[in-house]
Amino acid sequence: MKTATGIIRALNSGVKHLAVKRFTLRYPEEKLEFVGDGYQFDPSTGVGIAGLKGRHMLFHDHCTGCQLCSIACEGVAEAIAMVKVPEEQKQNKKSIMPQIDYGKCVFCGLCVDACPFYALYMTNDYELSSFSKEGLIYTPAQLAVKPYVRQDSSIQITERGATHG
Amino acid sequence: MITTATTDTPTTTTAAAPPAPVAAAAAGSAAPDLPPGLALQKVDERIMTLNVGPQHPGSGHMRIIVQIDGDHIVACDPDPGYVHRGEEKMAEYRNYITNIPHLERPVIHDSCNILYPYVLGVEELLGIETPERAKYVRVIASELNRCIYTMYWLAIYGIFLGHSTMFMWPAGDRELLIDLMEKMTGARVTHAHFVPGGVRNDLPPNFEDVCLRQVNYFEKRIKEYADIFYDNPILISRTRETGVLSRQDAIRLGTTGSVLRASGVDYDVRKKEPYDVYDELDVNTNVMTAGDSYARSRVPWLDMMESCNIIRSALEKMPKSGSVRVKLKPNPKGGNDTVYKRVESGRGALGCYIVSDGKPEPYRVKMSVGSFRNLIALPYLLKGEKLGNMPAVYWSLNYWPVEADR
Repeated sequence: MKTATGIIRALNSGVKHLAVKRFTLRYPEEKLEFVGDGYQFDPSTGVGIAGLKGRHMLFHDHCTGCQLCSIACEGVAEAIAMVKVPEEQKQNKKSIMPQIDYGKCVFCGLCVDACPFYALYMTNDYELSSFSKEGLIYTPAQLAVKPYVRQDSSIQITERGATHG
Repeated sequence: MITTATTDTPTTTTAAAPPAPVAAAAAGSAAPDLPPGLALQKVDERIMTLNVGPQHPGSGHMRIIVQIDGDHIVACDPDPGYVHRGEEKMAEYRNYITNIPHLERPVIHDSCNILYPYVLGVEELLGIETPERAKYVRVIASELNRCIYTMYWLAIYGIFLGHSTMFMWPAGDRELLIDLMEKMTGARVTHAHFVPGGVRNDLPPNFEDVCLRQVNYFEKRIKEYADIFYDNPILISRTRETGVLSRQDAIRLGTTGSVLRASGVDYDVRKKEPYDVYDELDVNTNVMTAGDSYARSRVPWLDMMESCNIIRSALEKMPKSGSVRVKLKPNPKGGNDTVYKRVESGRGALGCYIVSDGKPEPYRVKMSVGSFRNLIALPYLLKGEKLGNMPAVYWSLNYWPVEADR
């Protein structure tokens, strides 16, 4: 008798879920919403600003070519290489800027913590797939582009359960 | 001819006699020379040796060598080491900050907890005082991570007992907490959130409300698991009375965490040696006395509800503003000192021993992990069980192969 009621309880609990809304997200059509514009760091207070750790964004007018991001990455992923850039900025005498290999990057954000000049941030862009290894290497010019990320769904909790509304 | 032959025979025997001890000595020395793995074993017709793993999904990334007689397990030899990553050696070549992203790799679902003892140890080595708000943020992050890990483990436990609904539900409800961690730390797994001196970033605006709402809903959801899984007579008949670990054996074998608590020992590092702000929060431990697979699978589920309570009270008591991170010098150096710190992770007590010799890099980092200590109990639990009960017993140990190998 106890076995029968136990099985009926289990079945009943499953049947209740016929009325519960779908929780999963139809990914390429719907995309998740994030807080903020990505992980950033304020060197004056030494505290980061919450956000997704996605693709980097490089501000050419702030970067001085000091290589601190590259040094921070040395013990982690060795994803950052300093390369020559054709443009001339007055704060960047050596004309070198970071180039990031996303085949190696682990998205820890320690390079952002290392930058004292507000030049390197992370953005919400997480769709980085490429057909070739070379396509994953982002040059300083590519990193300067602000990505457009569609964000249209976040978790909503209603009477009928949680959904990605 | 015959006489010569008869006279020859003693000579031949005497001639043959000297080589005999040599041959005997050679035969005698051959056996010790062989490495232990190559030594010949007595073959019993009834016993069959079966390798479960390393590719079989039922074993995780390890091999369990099981000797079976019919359907019953006679002996069992767990063989971990297939996912050894050399984390401890790698830590000797990186400084205290760049060690963070790789030290959390062994358990990416529980990455805050595996980093916790390292961060506490480095703080003591460098003499850093952590801000009060950062301690609360850390407690919330580590409790959320414990739930995320336990839900993942519960999904695996369900699917290997043939309960595919129990795979879908925890895997789906885990998303509620992963979403919170993503808002908090910026990554769904491998957060790299804890640093010596606090946490990397402050909580996003309005996080407390979102966290409270989703944690409340999460608790409501996991309570429904009682109907479908924990009070289900099919699960109870499969797991009750299988792999019984008595209280004395649990202590003698040195098991930790939920395995120890399921055997009736009330031991939790959060309660016995409170770290950060756990002494200001109410921590209740869940203890069961049966010590079987059912108790071992139920204790983590009860712990998740306790984690929800801890998160709620931490959100309430947390200072509403203040710094969350102490500014450190680049390449901080520790003195000539050693430190050992312990926390309670999703799998049991997790210790980290750090030796510093005054350089920016640690001299030695040793992780003492709960998974490896719980694995020691496996040969004792499986002896005499049916082979079909092996997944029920093995996964109930809350074992994570990558963490055990480091």
